[in-house]
Amino acid sequence: MKVPILSIIIGVVDQKEVENKGGIKMVKKGIANQVAIIGCDMTKYGELWDKSQYDLLFEAVQGATKDAGIVKDDIDAAWCGIFYYFTGMSGATVEDMLRLDGKPVTRTENYCASGMDAFRNACFGVASGAYDVVLACGVEKLMDEGSSGLPGFKIFGHPVLPIPSAPAMFSMAATRSFHEYGWNKEDLARVAVKNHDNGSYHPKAHFRSKITIDQALRAPMIADPLGRFDCCAMSDGSAALILTRVEDAPSYAHGDDYIVVKANAISCYTNTPWYVPQGAVGCDFTHFPATEKAAAAAYKEAGITDPRKEIDLAEVHDCFTITELLNCQDLQFCDRGQAAEELKNGTFNWDGETAVNPSGGLKSFGHPIGSTGCRMLTEVTKHLQNRAEGRQVPDAKIGLGHNLGGAFSVCSVSILGQAK
Amino acid sequence: MPRDLISKAWDFPAVPGTKAVASADEDSITMAVEAGLDCLVGIDPKSIDGLYYATTTQVYTEKDSASLIATVLDMREDIITTDFTDSLKAGTTAVCRAVDTIKANKDIKSILILAADTRKPEPSTMWEFGFADGAAALLVAEGDVLPVSIEDYYSISANSTGPWKRTEKDSFIRTFEVKVDARIYSENITKVMSELLKRNNLQPGDIGAAAYYYNNPRLHGRIAKMMKFAGGVAQNSVFFQLGDLGTPMSFILLISALRRPKPDAKVILAGFGDGADAILLQVRDRAMLKDVNKNRMGVSAHQKSMITLNNYDWYLENKELLEKDRYSRKSSAVIHWREAPSLYKMYGIKCTNCGTIQYPQQFRSCYKCRADDQFEPVKLSLKGTIFTYTLDHLVGGNYYDTPVPRCVIDLDGGGRILLNMTEIEKPQENVQIGMRVELVFRKQHESADFVNYYWSCRPERGRK
Repeated sequence: MKVPILSIIIGVVDQKEVENKGGIKMVKKGIANQVAIIGCDMTKYGELWDKSQYDLLFEAVQGATKDAGIVKDDIDAAWCGIFYYFTGMSGATVEDMLRLDGKPVTRTENYCASGMDAFRNACFGVASGAYDVVLACGVEKLMDEGSSGLPGFKIFGHPVLPIPSAPAMFSMAATRSFHEYGWNKEDLARVAVKNHDNGSYHPKAHFRSKITIDQALRAPMIADPLGRFDCCAMSDGSAALILTRVEDAPSYAHGDDYIVVKANAISCYTNTPWYVPQGAVGCDFTHFPATEKAAAAAYKEAGITDPRKEIDLAEVHDCFTITELLNCQDLQFCDRGQAAEELKNGTFNWDGETAVNPSGGLKSFGHPIGSTGCRMLTEVTKHLQNRAEGRQVPDAKIGLGHNLGGAFSVCSVSILGQAK
Repeated sequence: MPRDLISKAWDFPAVPGTKAVASADEDSITMAVEAGLDCLVGIDPKSIDGLYYATTTQVYTEKDSASLIATVLDMREDIITTDFTDSLKAGTTAVCRAVDTIKANKDIKSILILAADTRKPEPSTMWEFGFADGAAALLVAEGDVLPVSIEDYYSISANSTGPWKRTEKDSFIRTFEVKVDARIYSENITKVMSELLKRNNLQPGDIGAAAYYYNNPRLHGRIAKMMKFAGGVAQNSVFFQLGDLGTPMSFILLISALRRPKPDAKVILAGFGDGADAILLQVRDRAMLKDVNKNRMGVSAHQKSMITLNNYDWYLENKELLEKDRYSRKSSAVIHWREAPSLYKMYGIKCTNCGTIQYPQQFRSCYKCRADDQFEPVKLSLKGTIFTYTLDHLVGGNYYDTPVPRCVIDLDGGGRILLNMTEIEKPQENVQIGMRVELVFRKQHESADFVNYYWSCRPERGRK
């Protein structure tokens, strides 16, 4: 049964309907099916006190080049997702970590989509013909700043306009979704239980213990109604992927078993959704316009018409449990208001109709921000190549990675498929 | 704050009554704003020609507070603003000077007078039972039809033995000998009121109400006897319930007295502090005065809306008497100046293309119809309804004074905004979608060594 969405009427008068020609435009050509992933790897994720960002990126890139059967000198250009200035500024810090000897390196920053945006830009690099082999990677070293929540809020933003913590931003969506959809804390807890269950099978995950609904419900509050198990942890980690054009891909280590990039989409909305009750799509705290737009654009580029059936696995941004529930709706895996029920029925389980976060997600890996997008696409690649040992999603042919960052501000969706 | 909390904290003898204590995010400036907002209900702030601000607890020793308050109250630019400070009689002195200014200057017809103090007593001293926080507003204007008229004033100047507080060197108010202080106070306050009566050929029996500053209830009674005021004339409601409020004290006594005035009553307003002022008032139009009282919270509704403090530690924290880390974040005095319409005056913008009201003013393109640069400024309501909220336990990567309720609010008449909530008891139980709130001007933090003021919200208390 579909729950009707209450329209929110604000006390505004004299509104004229104005034609909206904004939004993401579909291009004539695009770069679908032109770029191949020929190698990838990720580090162990966790509280890696004895490693620096230099160690992490170095290890991820070394793993990815080895996976592709190349050496670092085969890389023509690199894009690296780094969110925080203290992890590293500019391509130069990446050069210091990798010693590529003057090659073009760009640091990308786009909130939680920083890593997936590095991947998107790297795709452009090879698809355009500017480069033959490129590196898309991401790294974040959060633990050196301490483990009590995202650092840095003291130095950016406005002096007095309120800046909620990251959990607070998303918990305002939880409060409103409880109100509109009739969900409760137990519905959220099921997301945590599912993801920690999946994560227990992943050797690289930060957390590998299963939890119970009761444990999640009893956890201390972080931002009401989100408790500790509703939130992803602070973590360190890095991931890297090697890309080339599809026609060149068979000559690398995986031969014909390379992975094709079917779509990349990014959508940006306001930094401050609390001031924007109704835009072209509108922020009513019960769905995320950026995810809706990016998903629609990515599905169109990839030629996907029934995401629930066609997407075999999705690494969905579960920075908070409520984020995963709402994103599953915005990614069209189910109708609005139905995510909690579908989750309960097993639709999003590892062996369900659409496996959501078979890796264990951010809940199990934590969220070293700049790295997460590349970590997701590495995970999807391994499933599509049938080498996700111990956690392989059966018959995975098409997979999706998704990030949503800021205050629901920036969304990235990338869709990968088998070469065939 | 029940006074027995102080007795219990220091093992002092029990002292009856309560005293008014400001929240941690309040200071004299924010309290003056609050008094000003209540005073200006139904009055266009742009119609007033000046603002006099009286306090002994200045937030800044170099920086005019009246101009900041006038900005927040959305008054005109071509007005006079002055701070009256350093003496407890600053409030009554400001009234006298307002009368002079209006009489002398044909372009100045009305002046808003705000008196506010947040008095910080030294813990574990007897001062702690008295010193309290408060603010009050009087609007003085020229006109033929007035609820109350100012008939005359008389002042004396007298050096005293105390109390004092040295700039920079003293954290708390000092005095040399309270018995001599009491004698000087008694002599000055009776002298100034007696002279005022004499100048106007009045007998003590002609006075319907006397609102004079006091910091000791026993002394207050003695003054009433010395002045030969009839029973009930000397206003004494404040100390027992609110404490020694400093500069706004005589104003608050006056406002209470004018709640139910006798017809044509003559009223004395008097302040003391190294000298004294006495002002003679005359009730002119009771119906008009009733209207003034009806639309404003005044003393009684504010008193009723207060939250009762239930532990002394909370008081110490509120007075910043506990040394602890406080929230600091990015700070820029330039942003406060540039964005004053949004941050201080609470203006939003209205899209002239589609009519959508939005906030803050920094946007150049409409979020609704995406029209560029088609905005006009619009004053937003200081009331609204919660659309969604959270209770944030994580403030800037730390845990200061949590949880902080973050509330997305739809303002009455348009505009959506995010504000922190203050003065909410048991937020887990009491914050709800659909809850009515009112906006209050508060200190947010003190990064970069200046006070970063902005609006917060609190459960509606009844300000019109």
